[in-house]
Amino acid sequence: MAKGVMIVAEQRDGALRKISLELASTARKLADQTGDEVSAILLGSGIEGLAAELGKYGVDKVFVGDNAAMEPYITEAHAAVVAKVVKENDPAILLLGASVQGKDLSARVAAKLATGLATDCTDVKLDGGKFVAIRPMYAGKCFGEIVTSATPAMASLRPNVFPAAENAKAGTVVKVDAAVDAASIKSKILEVQKDTSGKVDLTEANVIVSGGRGMKGPEGFGILEELAAVLKGTVGASRAAVDAGWKLQKDQVGQTGKVVSPNLYIACGISGAIQHLAGMSSSKCIVAINKDAEAPIFTKADYGVVDDLFKVVPELTAVCKKLVA
Amino acid sequence: MKEHAFYVGREGREVFWNIPLPVFEILLFALTAVALGIFGYGVYHRWRIWKAMGKPEMRLDNIKERVITVLKEIFLQNKVLKDPYPGIMHALIFFGFFVLIFGAAFDAGQHHVTEPLFGWTFLKGNFYLGFSFLMDLFGLLVLIGVIIALDRRFVQKPDRLGYKGEIDNTPDDVIVLLLIGAIIITGFIVEALRIYVTNPPWEVWSFVGWLLSRTFTGIELDTARILHQLTWWLHAVLGLGFIAYIPYSRLLHIITTPANHFLESYKPTGYIEPIRDFENAEAFGVGKLDEFTWKQIFDSDACTRCGRCQDGCPAYLTGKPLSPKKMVQDIKTYWLENAPAAVAAKKAELEASGEAAKQNVFMRGLNKVDSVVDKAVLSFKRDKAPAEKALVGEVVDLHELWACTNCMYCMEHCSASIEHVPKIIDMRRYKVLTEADFAPELQLTCRNMENNSNPWGVGAHLRGDWAKELGIKTLAEDPSVEYLFYVGCSGSFDDRGKKISIALAKILQEAGVSFGILGNEEGCCGDSAMRAGNEYLFQTLAQTNIDVMNGYGVKKIIAICPHGYNALKKDYPNFGGNFEVYHHTEIIAKLIADGKIRLTQPLSGTFVYHDSCFLGRYNNVYDQPRQILKAIPGLQLVEMERSFDKSFCCGAGGARMWMEEDIGERINNARTKQAMAVKADTIAVGCPFCLTMMSDGIKDQQMSETMQAWDIAELVVKAMGKEEVKPPVDACAV
Amino acid sequence: MNIIACVKQVPDTEAQIKVKADGSGIEEGQIKWVMNPYDEFGVEEALKLKEKNGGDVTVVCVGPARAMETIRTALAMGADKGVHICDPAFDNADAFVVANALAAVIKTLPHDIIFCGQRAIDDDSGQVGAMLAEALGLPQLTLVTKLDFAGSSVKVIRPIEGAQLLIETALPCVVTCQKGLNEPRYASLPGIMKAKKKPVDVKDAAAVGIATDAKAKVAKTVPPPARPPGKIICGDEPAQKAAELGRLLREEAKAI
Repeated sequence: MAKGVMIVAEQRDGALRKISLELASTARKLADQTGDEVSAILLGSGIEGLAAELGKYGVDKVFVGDNAAMEPYITEAHAAVVAKVVKENDPAILLLGASVQGKDLSARVAAKLATGLATDCTDVKLDGGKFVAIRPMYAGKCFGEIVTSATPAMASLRPNVFPAAENAKAGTVVKVDAAVDAASIKSKILEVQKDTSGKVDLTEANVIVSGGRGMKGPEGFGILEELAAVLKGTVGASRAAVDAGWKLQKDQVGQTGKVVSPNLYIACGISGAIQHLAGMSSSKCIVAINKDAEAPIFTKADYGVVDDLFKVVPELTAVCKKLVA
Repeated sequence: MKEHAFYVGREGREVFWNIPLPVFEILLFALTAVALGIFGYGVYHRWRIWKAMGKPEMRLDNIKERVITVLKEIFLQNKVLKDPYPGIMHALIFFGFFVLIFGAAFDAGQHHVTEPLFGWTFLKGNFYLGFSFLMDLFGLLVLIGVIIALDRRFVQKPDRLGYKGEIDNTPDDVIVLLLIGAIIITGFIVEALRIYVTNPPWEVWSFVGWLLSRTFTGIELDTARILHQLTWWLHAVLGLGFIAYIPYSRLLHIITTPANHFLESYKPTGYIEPIRDFENAEAFGVGKLDEFTWKQIFDSDACTRCGRCQDGCPAYLTGKPLSPKKMVQDIKTYWLENAPAAVAAKKAELEASGEAAKQNVFMRGLNKVDSVVDKAVLSFKRDKAPAEKALVGEVVDLHELWACTNCMYCMEHCSASIEHVPKIIDMRRYKVLTEADFAPELQLTCRNMENNSNPWGVGAHLRGDWAKELGIKTLAEDPSVEYLFYVGCSGSFDDRGKKISIALAKILQEAGVSFGILGNEEGCCGDSAMRAGNEYLFQTLAQTNIDVMNGYGVKKIIAICPHGYNALKKDYPNFGGNFEVYHHTEIIAKLIADGKIRLTQPLSGTFVYHDSCFLGRYNNVYDQPRQILKAIPGLQLVEMERSFDKSFCCGAGGARMWMEEDIGERINNARTKQAMAVKADTIAVGCPFCLTMMSDGIKDQQMSETMQAWDIAELVVKAMGKEEVKPPVDACAV
Repeated sequence: MNIIACVKQVPDTEAQIKVKADGSGIEEGQIKWVMNPYDEFGVEEALKLKEKNGGDVTVVCVGPARAMETIRTALAMGADKGVHICDPAFDNADAFVVANALAAVIKTLPHDIIFCGQRAIDDDSGQVGAMLAEALGLPQLTLVTKLDFAGSSVKVIRPIEGAQLLIETALPCVVTCQKGLNEPRYASLPGIMKAKKKPVDVKDAAAVGIATDAKAKVAKTVPPPARPPGKIICGDEPAQKAAELGRLLREEAKAI
């Protein structure tokens, strides 16, 4: 009989990622409802020391696979070890992060275990002892409640949604063999290109700070660059700003430019012509800063600031700097 | 030959005075025959080229109207005179030459026909005097015309006679003008010398010749006789040379331009022939010259390079590479390069099929001549074989092809009835349908139309949302209404456009007009898709709308967007959609005239009306919008320099609304400046695309504080005193 | 080169998604169905590979009868043939079943590289590519934004948080496509016409021969919590407004 909640912790460069703590806390909460144990799988090279921190967030037992083969992350290698540990310990629930790595790994592991997986969940619960994962579908236009007919029930959790709360447990280290047959690994990481500029392409950006006609000139975009730098975002522009020659065509958001859907879209001095809205309305959170209270952009914005953007934006940059620090 | 006796009271002149007959006469006949032969062969040679390329197209309906049109264009110089200055220039030369030829025919008629056969002479007495006067007068007019023409070509150099500041005078242009001038001048000299020698007092009526003869004082009479003979021959040779030269020079337009008027389209303005077979075609649109119809190619031979098209082309005038004239001329050059091979191929085909042998002696003889000429031409051009060029992309550059706004200025003002826009759409069809190679932003627009039946890609289920809470019924709820209000995409999805829809709905409700909308059953009209060349998508969209409309038995339609208006009116009948379609300004003007709505609230300021191309040039709706504005108390209505049929496009037509404009000045800015030039503070429009363009233009020109753009329907609602004044937004109320 | 592109038919991004009253799924009546945009990147990449290196592109699709339109769309873009796995038994298939069905078919076809979308925009699961790779025993490259073919292997760029990886993988492999990989082409009209005559092999569950029981079931579909109306941030001073906005973005929207 499958029992307990297991998580797959994620680390990068020798440090636990925040999602790992969110996973641990969430697993703890679930396990406490049935009085079960929380275990974690931690893979990497020279990472045994991280187990203690998982213990601090409620993990009873940490299966540590410390092996050079585990670094850097290669799907097939990690999936093989995770699947092996899961099979040996037979948890009822297996949680991973819905990070880029977690998404990549979770599906492969689910296939290996021939079980069901709910990805990118925003809530998980036990309903009459049965694990239910709640996740957005159709770009958030509806939510599905997922149940799994095999064990373990797998779910990946959306980062930043579940709280991470300290709840110290033993965090006992159990070493597992994480050696892999090199011949079975077909992929090789040739290069890790660290993003030093902090800028990503508009279409891939999580945060976009866009400026329009209200920026009054190319120099106005300086304050947007500063805000974007703090939020690790990218600066975009409306057609008006591009036509005026203040920004390049590649920076244009809209029907005739790039269609974007970042987590956060901050529109500054953009009135919100339909051609612009068509390019950004699928953004998850929209902020509009414009001194014209009648600007159509406010009808699409989650948060609106009716004021002079040249005063608001620098203040916002300062506020965000403190928040993300 | 009989001796004539002329005296005061029996004024006249000897027709072949000082010309030894019959030797010279025979020689003249012989030369005439040669000239006509060269002329005839030239026309025949051209005829073969006209026939060599292009798909068949019938343009022989409405024969009576066609004949009338040609007569009107020739003898009233109808289209030519639409632009007065160059029009008069042309008319002087044309009418002058025409009268002179008639005069020569009178001379010849008397000399060779009436006198020898019936002993009847008519060039005598007062008739002769009047005749002489007219001949001199029209000769003088031709000369004035030629001088004006030379002045334009070499002194004034208007841009339209070139391309981007470079005057494109060819040797031929100059030769033709000098030839005409020389014919007239030698004619006058011949006349003057005759008068000088014979000196009859009544020849004062030949006033130019008479005045000129006064300058010859001192010349020996015998010398004058010799000079006369020489000049006479020069005049004759130049005149015959003119005839022979016609088919080999720009003078060919004497034939091709009237022919093109004869062949003009009898479809509604701006009509685009749909593609009727998608299933069995291998390629769509026109990618090769041969895929044009012969008429589309013939067009280019009717072009006189007058440049009127270029003079009002919004693309050209804002610095894009497109010039309708250049495009037509490039097609012509390309055609002439490729025609010999096509002619040879046709001939080879004829010979291979054995048809050639069955031809009569005359045709076989002509073929022989052809072979000799072709060979000669080929050996002359050996090193100048035409380079392999693609029609679309090389002959017509893609930037030219996509710069066109379909505004119809070129076709409206072409004095040769050339049809530029259909050619552009045909070539766009090739790029879009056959090659699927077109601007990414336009691809997105097409996908949006495919998936959500509107160019922005807003969810199709939101189409009817603007009308919620306005008490407007859909046809599904009440199909018995008189009018369907076809809202269109702007009026349904664009926040600015929705205000026009709401305004019109308010007016119709106020006037008690029975109307309904289709709500979410409505779809995109497809105009932008069609004009982008995506005929397949257009027909899909059109058919969907037509099926819905016919399903409700729709008869009358009101549209607020001239693009939908035009498409529904002119293109939908091709697919079984036959409706009476009105633009909202037509309806509102009638409601005002009938007293159904009252405009009592004065509006102040200087208003200018911007003619939408698809309303004005396409559908001749110029007056109703202005009538409405004039009915609004208080405002002052002014006109921009370019208005009515000379209106300047806003830049959004021809699917340009959905494309980046990255070459030259933005068209909407150019148009906004024209409104600023007449000190307008309100630009009134009747088209949501124009409204977007003008509003953007006002913002770009930093004129938002003092200038605004409104749809006429919105202005009417204001003038009715029905505008809802929104309370100021309480920023912190939420 | 034998290239496979897996495609799925999904509702258009802008389509209205109405949850059925009983929570058993969504209303399909008014929906405009299109090819999953991420699968389009896969089809485009497959066609580009074919154009450069020669070969043959097969599209494989699990879906109801209407999904044939999507297969035809891929064929119109230039794919050579299609396999349509179509059976009511797959109506409630989860990623696991779909991946296994695709694998069962792909095993019977020669394959050097297999493209999938990184996720489908309907269920947003993002599992099929990896599960298919597992079922076929092949390496997987997920969320790829650039791909270079190098004979017996491919080199790809795969963005992860704060970095991107340059990975080389031996063929055959499964690639899942992320936005940025390419710009999918607009199908030409001759392409659309030819697509009507290209071969599509329709297979039912029996022909595929796998178990069709979903491992993960959508027990209930619920509408999202009502989107709160946009908030206009209050405050007397710009600084105050900025502080309040920052707080809301952090605590309420969790956007920073």
